[in-house]
Amino acid sequence: MINNEIIKVKNLNINFNKHRVIDNLSLSFNKGETVLITGRNGSGKTTFLKCLGGVLFPDSGLIQFENKVSKKKIGIISDKMSLLEDYTLEQGIAFHSEIFGIDKFNFSLINQLNLKYERKIKTLSAGERAIYHLSLIISQKPELLLIDEIIHMIDAYIRELFLDALIELINDVNTTIIMVNHTFSETGRIPERILIMEQGRFILDEKRENLNKKIKKIIINKEIEEDIPVLFKKESSIQKEFYIYPFKEEFNSKYKYDFQDINLTEIIKSFIGGCYAKKRV
Amino acid sequence: MIKFNINEASPVPLYQQVKQAILLDIVSEKLNEGDQLPSIRALAKILKLNPNTVAKVYYTLEQEGFIEGKRGSGYRVKVLKSRIDKLKISIIEAELKDFLEKASCLGFKKKYINDLIGRLLNDK
Repeated sequence: MINNEIIKVKNLNINFNKHRVIDNLSLSFNKGETVLITGRNGSGKTTFLKCLGGVLFPDSGLIQFENKVSKKKIGIISDKMSLLEDYTLEQGIAFHSEIFGIDKFNFSLINQLNLKYERKIKTLSAGERAIYHLSLIISQKPELLLIDEIIHMIDAYIRELFLDALIELINDVNTTIIMVNHTFSETGRIPERILIMEQGRFILDEKRENLNKKIKKIIINKEIEEDIPVLFKKESSIQKEFYIYPFKEEFNSKYKYDFQDINLTEIIKSFIGGCYAKKRV
Repeated sequence: MIKFNINEASPVPLYQQVKQAILLDIVSEKLNEGDQLPSIRALAKILKLNPNTVAKVYYTLEQEGFIEGKRGSGYRVKVLKSRIDKLKISIIEAELKDFLEKASCLGFKKKYINDLIGRLLNDK
């Protein structure tokens, strides 16, 4: 098999004030894949993304890029990043093009929003800013694009422009996209691989298309056998809901329960719910 | 244009939903031999899907012999009578199995179901 990896992470650790934020992570990302990282607030998602982008140095461990990936081909979009605030859009474009050696700037997104090039960057709204920033990065034809919690902040029209631009990047440049989002529904149909983070580790790392085989739900009014792995349990006065993970085919013949398929929204909710439940214990 | 009813709230994987929509149009002859399918980029943008998902659908459909891709000219429908017939049979069998399961849940005997189907067929 051809080695398709673009980033390899080995035994990554990050501590803040003796508190472990990233806990011995090892995983890799493939060229051209679109990954969603989700999880509770404070689970370490953004810290991990910053580390991938080289904004933050780990206490120990390694992040290796495939040797052909140049720094100029890595883009990061975050609402917390400051751009050249006092520059006009036009000046910002000229500066960015110079630094990243862009010979053909992609103006289409900026034009679709009718943004005036003589405006100062600091006057842009959150959504306009996201699109402007994305235009700068798209023009770099990035091999890796890291997006931190941006999609939920922007309105439906701009979100569609944003997603269309990502689709074009994946198709035309085969960009690897890693996005962190706590509301995943806005990223809709694009992610192919889902990672859920909790206390600096990934408690789920699965291809989206395989998820419905690995996690099921039973609705019942009694307790279930102990050897069925329960990820999360929801109880009300009339019924109990058990979320089963990892589900095995043999459960179907062994137990006479109605193991139901659930969708991605419910899957992520049950994982995060499981994290809260564990914390209470 | 193929009618896609993609639902991300469904537990059925997205690529399966897209594949089913195309197959259904081929079986019901809304898509015919030689018809051009939208490019991967265009379909991804219309359905807001990852282009890799669309590529996977086209790739599997090509492997299964329902469409044909040519470098530079995109994908076209390839209708093989025997394959289509097989597919039609598998669709109707699945529906019937579903029906029989429901009937047995409701407690109907085989003889009754058999007679019922015969009677309904004659009414038509």
